[in-house]
Amino acid sequence: MWRRRTTGLLLAPGLAVLALVFLYPVAVTLVAAPAGVDDGGLADRLGALAADEHIWRAAARTVRVAALVTALCLLLGLPVGFLISRSPPRRRAVLLALAVFPLLLSTVVRTYSWLVILGRTGLLSRALTGLGLTERPTQLLYTETAVVIGLTQLFTPLVIITAYGAFAHVHPDLEAAARGLGASAGSAFRRVALPLALPGVLVGATLVFAGAVTAFTTPLLLGGTRTPTLATLLYDYANVTVDWSSAAAVALVMTVVVLAAGALAARVPAKAAPS
Amino acid sequence: MTGRHPLVGALSAVALTFLLGPILLVVGVAFTAGDTIEFPPRGLSLRWFAQALSYGPFLEALRTSLLVAMAGTVLALALGLPVALALGRGGARSRGAIGTLFTLPVVVPELVLGYALFQILMVTFRVSAFGALLAGHTVLLLPYAVRVTGSSLAQADRSLEEAARGLGAGGWATFTRVTLPVIAPGVAAACVLSLVTSFNNVPLSLLLNGPGTTTLPVAMLHHVEFAFDPLVAAVCTLLLVLAVAVMLVTERLAGFTDVFARQEADRWRP
Repeated sequence: MWRRRTTGLLLAPGLAVLALVFLYPVAVTLVAAPAGVDDGGLADRLGALAADEHIWRAAARTVRVAALVTALCLLLGLPVGFLISRSPPRRRAVLLALAVFPLLLSTVVRTYSWLVILGRTGLLSRALTGLGLTERPTQLLYTETAVVIGLTQLFTPLVIITAYGAFAHVHPDLEAAARGLGASAGSAFRRVALPLALPGVLVGATLVFAGAVTAFTTPLLLGGTRTPTLATLLYDYANVTVDWSSAAAVALVMTVVVLAAGALAARVPAKAAPS
Repeated sequence: MTGRHPLVGALSAVALTFLLGPILLVVGVAFTAGDTIEFPPRGLSLRWFAQALSYGPFLEALRTSLLVAMAGTVLALALGLPVALALGRGGARSRGAIGTLFTLPVVVPELVLGYALFQILMVTFRVSAFGALLAGHTVLLLPYAVRVTGSSLAQADRSLEEAARGLGAGGWATFTRVTLPVIAPGVAAACVLSLVTSFNNVPLSLLLNGPGTTTLPVAMLHHVEFAFDPLVAAVCTLLLVLAVAVMLVTERLAGFTDVFARQEADRWRP
């Protein structure tokens, strides 16, 4: 049985690194107390959780923002994904490349542009005063709205990609048949194409939701310290106030939210998928 | 054709403008002759580019970023390719479970991973910040390395390997002379994806801070927090040019949208 030994030898280094640099540190940080750190483990963490109103407020904001971002990303991304799936090959390649391109850029680069647009002397504020809609400069920066806008731009490509993949598997003849039977273009899309593509679209929505819950750079730059999310609060506890028990508690909440979203998505498509 | 509906076209135009417009705006800001972040720019000049290219902290951070990205990619592939081989060709019984195990680092929030490595590696085991940073990036890239090379292996024709074995080639010779050339595009794709992912990462580098661990995105972030000059706009523009170059090279190697679109969509799948 040399084959099994070879398999073991091939797996061993990867598994060892995964265990030492990922599984052990994450498990200990989330549920146990690391040695030499003033932290009493899970009990302390849950205590910190129950007592800390900041965490709950940040958690509520994070979930609210993530849900809104997911809805907006679907609104913007679904039409583009559908359009790409129904385009001739050449145009499809160009449109897809345009939609995927932002993923090559760091979140810092992609968020930076919103500082130019949303600041007090930014493009939007000057446009609003220029048009006479507002008298004073509008400060959109460091608000929840700014975070939602920034995150929506960050994650729309994920919906475009997954929606494109899902719609590409729905044969255009099905819509044509619906049209032939008298459905309008809108209801052919709503009642034929969309339901068939739904499982794929839900995968995209989950990725966006999880991404928005854990996003860090964007809430830090656009939300500032006045609108903390779980991610910026974790950074704050870990690096600024050095409150490790609370930091671990936030990490726990964040991980649970993401894993719950992932688990939910893993179950829903199976039910929503056409049999 | 519902795809030709004017409403779909109009909504798509709005979405793509929202997606790409702000990024292009930064390019305009970078060419300003003024001292503040402003669009439209006040006069045109290249002064912020000249300043960005000679700004010590950014240059040092760029060096760190490149070093971590390259070392992390090499390590992730060195560890991940054997795992992909074992999962794709070996006889391990618990393949599904092991495959899932290797997707976990992208499921757990990066900030949580960064915090955990800070506590365990740096505080408890006294690993240097740079060592912890490199370990963190390696483990973050591992899922991509395993999955991308794995899907390439799954598509490769196994009978080629069997023919080589039948003709007397050993396991190693079969791997280096048959398997590796066949999956080369997959390995190239894994490299590009890993380099980009590592180069753009913020949470790990921010939490694992110490001498020589400030990466370029983190240096930019710190600069933005305290200064309002267009220096970062110039750096963003240069990174945009770099991203276009990466896109063109990837298109040549393995198909740009294949690599990035599929991998982003399949992030959580083993």
